[in-house]
Amino acid sequence: MIEQYKKFLQEKAGLTAAEIETLTATLQSKTFHKGDFLLHAGEVCAYAFFVEKGLLRSFTIDETGKEHIIQFGPENWFVTDRSSAYFHEASDFSIEAVEETTVVLIDAAFISRASAVYPNFMRFNEKALQNHIRQLQKRINLLLSATAEKRYLDFIRLYPDLTLRVPQWMIASYLGITPESLSRVRKELAKNNFKPHS
Amino acid sequence: MKTRSIEVIVPPPAPHYVGDGFRVHNFIPSGYHLDMHRMTPFIMMDYNSKFVFPPSAQPKGVGVHPHRGFETVTLAYKGKVAHHDSAGNSGVIGEGDVQWMTAASGILHKEYHEEAFSKTGGEFQMVQLWVNLPAKDKLSKPKYQGLTHEGIGKFELPDNAGVIEVIAGQYQEVKGVASTFSPVHLQNAKLNKGGKAAFNFPSHYNTALLVIEGSVNVNGTEAAETDHFVLFENDGEAFTIEALETSVVLVLSGEPINEPIAAQGPFVMNTRQEIVQAIDDYNQGEFGYLD
Repeated sequence: MIEQYKKFLQEKAGLTAAEIETLTATLQSKTFHKGDFLLHAGEVCAYAFFVEKGLLRSFTIDETGKEHIIQFGPENWFVTDRSSAYFHEASDFSIEAVEETTVVLIDAAFISRASAVYPNFMRFNEKALQNHIRQLQKRINLLLSATAEKRYLDFIRLYPDLTLRVPQWMIASYLGITPESLSRVRKELAKNNFKPHS
Repeated sequence: MKTRSIEVIVPPPAPHYVGDGFRVHNFIPSGYHLDMHRMTPFIMMDYNSKFVFPPSAQPKGVGVHPHRGFETVTLAYKGKVAHHDSAGNSGVIGEGDVQWMTAASGILHKEYHEEAFSKTGGEFQMVQLWVNLPAKDKLSKPKYQGLTHEGIGKFELPDNAGVIEVIAGQYQEVKGVASTFSPVHLQNAKLNKGGKAAFNFPSHYNTALLVIEGSVNVNGTEAAETDHFVLFENDGEAFTIEALETSVVLVLSGEPINEPIAAQGPFVMNTRQEIVQAIDDYNQGEFGYLD
């Protein structure tokens, strides 16, 4: 099942249906149960994962055993550890299925081949990388300088439906705040925005 | 009056947990026979078949979550459920009681095993239905109808056959206590062994049975066992059930709401745009706050 990825390529990479069929003929998909690990920290994994359906998270565990969520990957997102997938070094992060998740397995050779054959794909891939770096810069800045409220407001803009799909502690972990601060932010928003029916 | 025939008898699907307190078989929406349109206005049915929960100091249940666009109807057959919502309402649904919650424009709530029940543990058996709202009522004011077992109208069947408890709609001259936004019949048929009951609903009403206890013969032709779901065709008005042993059967029948359905998680609206709006309103705190 790689229908979503094909649709994604058609919409974002400007490839024709025939080009997409040729390009993706050898791609594999895989389905993971909720709680399954796609990658454990310390392992090497040759793949980036494109999420067809479901939800992934990548995270680290610090010396005290606390989890820090780096990224969520709902439908149409890529989740990967670059050290592992591109540089073939041991991964810094673990990747886990938060829901039952089907992913397309994409390796560096696929990206190279596609870029060599299709200039549109190369331009798309570069733009995607630039955009990814831009998002990372924004995320670093938010983590260093933004209030809990600003972080939360940015989160619901980026991932609107995740508030319905993951527990509060995961959102707090992603935002780098305590679950108590997240509750305070949500309570404050509700105080200002609650619209009871009169 | 034509007999309504059976389309399919569905055995209980493999159970899954909703939160940690509800071990449910999901009959609707599922598969070919029972998507949200097939049984409209009944768009979701989770059935916690009889299950013994061990004692727990911490009540099990489902944490805070929102709803918009429909009604949740909770029927407690065994055990007790406590609920709280963002409008400050709370209460307990005891055995035989029914809670009819109109989420409509939006509510946040949580549902847990009632504290004393949780401490002792015991048999737990519940049905939760989602009843769709017509588009014009989806953003109406949320409300509750807490229907106690005592307050639910009962029709005594002749010949000691049993009793029909009319939660919504009508059976003979007994009217249901629940007020509904579209025509809905929801009734518990509690039949003694050999007891027989006849039902009659307009043929275009989507109609089904859930066998809560015992086993019954439907239309004198097919037997339905405990925990099985009987979906009727829309080819007639009348059907009968006869108890092969002491039985309890939930009878559902409703006028279809033939409007588009856009559903995601706890929101059921008519368009994708309304779902996006619901998620945004929820994220921005418009449904209020609940710890």
